[in-house]
Amino acid sequence: MSFSVLLLVLVSTIFVNNFVFAKFLGTCPYLGVSKDSQSAMGMGLAVIFVMTMASAVSWAIYHFFLYPGKDNVLYLLLGGDPAQYDLRYLMTLAFILVIAALVQFVEMVIQKVSPALYAALGIYLPLITTNCAVLAVAILNIEGMSIFGVRVGHGYPGSLLFALANGFGGGVGFALALLLMAGIRERLALGNVPKPLQGMPIAFITAALLAIAFMGFIGMVK
Amino acid sequence: MSVSTVKEVTKGFWEKNPVLVLALGLCPSLAVTTSVRNALGMGVSTIFVLTLSNVIIALIKGIVPSQIRIPCYIIVIATLVTIVDLVLAAYFPDISKAIGLFIKLIVVNCIILGRAEAFAAKNTAWRSLLDGIGMGIGFMIALVLIAAVREVLGANKLFGFTVFPGWRPIAVMVLAPGAFLTLGFLLGAKNLRMRT
Amino acid sequence: MARLLHVSSSPHLRTSDSIPKIMWTVVIALLPLCVFAVWLFGWYAALLIAICVATAVLTEGLMQKLRKQKLTLYDGSAVVMGILVACNLPPGISWWIPIIGTFVGMAIAKHCYGGLGYNIFNPALIARAFLLAAYPKDMTTWISPVDATTCATPLGILKERGPGELLSAYGGKLSLYKHLFIGNIPGCLGETSALLILAGGVFLLLRGIITWHIPLSYLATLALLTFLSGGDPIIALLAGGVMLGAWFMATDLVTSPFTRRGQVVFGIGCGLLTFLIRRFSGYPEGTSYAILLMNAATPLIDRYFPNRIYGTR
Repeated sequence: MSFSVLLLVLVSTIFVNNFVFAKFLGTCPYLGVSKDSQSAMGMGLAVIFVMTMASAVSWAIYHFFLYPGKDNVLYLLLGGDPAQYDLRYLMTLAFILVIAALVQFVEMVIQKVSPALYAALGIYLPLITTNCAVLAVAILNIEGMSIFGVRVGHGYPGSLLFALANGFGGGVGFALALLLMAGIRERLALGNVPKPLQGMPIAFITAALLAIAFMGFIGMVK
Repeated sequence: MSVSTVKEVTKGFWEKNPVLVLALGLCPSLAVTTSVRNALGMGVSTIFVLTLSNVIIALIKGIVPSQIRIPCYIIVIATLVTIVDLVLAAYFPDISKAIGLFIKLIVVNCIILGRAEAFAAKNTAWRSLLDGIGMGIGFMIALVLIAAVREVLGANKLFGFTVFPGWRPIAVMVLAPGAFLTLGFLLGAKNLRMRT
Repeated sequence: MARLLHVSSSPHLRTSDSIPKIMWTVVIALLPLCVFAVWLFGWYAALLIAICVATAVLTEGLMQKLRKQKLTLYDGSAVVMGILVACNLPPGISWWIPIIGTFVGMAIAKHCYGGLGYNIFNPALIARAFLLAAYPKDMTTWISPVDATTCATPLGILKERGPGELLSAYGGKLSLYKHLFIGNIPGCLGETSALLILAGGVFLLLRGIITWHIPLSYLATLALLTFLSGGDPIIALLAGGVMLGAWFMATDLVTSPFTRRGQVVFGIGCGLLTFLIRRFSGYPEGTSYAILLMNAATPLIDRYFPNRIYGTR
């Protein structure tokens, strides 16, 4: 996979097909943790980290255990026809368990290795398990996409690199959306929003206007 | 049926509506509400998963050690979701193509794990069944409401039929901004009603 | 009066004028553009401007009635918003489309946030971006000022057919510059004449309504990036809506940063985004999206580029 395709994958996931504004992924934590920019920053970094890691791990699980190809572990151990080891229907189940385990593991490692980082990110990590954007990115990495006519995804060259870029870019796009929203909501807290619209409703209306602004990026990656 | 049984079902329709009051399951209520047909597909799928997961979890709650209960719940839910996903792909390929990703994402829909933890783990299978059906229908009511607004304003259609002949719809309402706007104003309208 | 504007630490350099005085001065600066639009595109342009202003004023009144606030229709802010929406419309658009856009901009982008002084996004630009997403075809159909036939804007030709075609369409470089500067070209109602926009902008500068920081950093960034990427910076500045955006919309007091440093950052961001959208996205022009995106970043800019304490360097 060429460098320019990789760059376009990043532009696509951060701006053009932003997870929050174009794909409606991770809406619950997006509205839950965007009340102040301090925690938005922490959550954003945690999501970037976990989404990149989850992309790598879920790709490996799919490639070596679920997909009936020549790298399938069962096929390598037992031989025969790879097609008889087709476990793709277990994808949703396998990915959600892997992500839950990964988040637990990352939490433990960070706690041991860097208490300072844990203090900053720790409380956001458990929330990420239920962030549908993480499971979604793992599934989308496998399904792939088309970048100016070039197909990327599982089964095409450089699929692991694509998965990493897609996961990282998705996380950065989420963090960007979170930070913008947090800045705006901090200002709104001092403001004069009509009573019935305070809280969630105005946050949704703001998300709508942000989504309109992000439509300017349409067409940068097709 | 006693009054409390009926109440167990209907509480999810409005006063504890999972989307409009509890603000849960927001991603699917934005993503699949481009048409009422997709919303119904998602609603029925969620009712199926939610009801069965509630019953199964209520039944196994005595057996599962509490330390590993969440992973067990997730396995139950993910299995049910896989069944729905495969059935939809086989019998309703157009719906599956339009909202397939979000069918898979029912696994992480906070309504389902939330009801498992908050209700099914503490109540009998019968009451969990009622709760699952009620909450599921409440979720579907919210989805259909949002979808109806978006489909009429954004495509001038309802179930595929033209609503106002000759009127040119506001296309942006079926796009992302329209989803956020519709849900925002529905939540605002709900606040207005609850206050008075 | 201070309650209507943002609370910031002193010095309150920007609250010295009353709101009606500011707004009516902006209306005066916009009037030549309106007159020119009517002269260029005919009386239908006047009808569109009137519809936008009327919708803006009526919506403002309705929202203030609904919220049981004091009516402030005399302060001119709704009139400014209406004129700016009209300035951002293609001259041949059906008359009922601007009503939807103006209503959305005024009701949602301004009054859902609490009215004058509290909005995050520029209401006129929300109106334009909303209509662009709702009626994309109507919002990108242009008529020629010469014979009222459908045609492409200079930036449209540049994007679809390249700089060579643009030069030959206007008979050479000098002739193209002249057309762009005077404004007898297809485009949105109020964006065609760089000359009149500059005149209005300088008028606002001299009256102290705006400062030079945002327009200059915006236009300079766009020109520099266009030059570095091998384009013609003069065409980049004079064509499209960037002049109107830089002088009349990016400078909106409420939706841009308070501090001079923040304003320069804001302008550079607008220039960069305008360049990127023009060059790489599906749209020939990116001014309105660039300013909206920087509106969204304004609270963060205010946070990370705060006022210097007076007397320090």
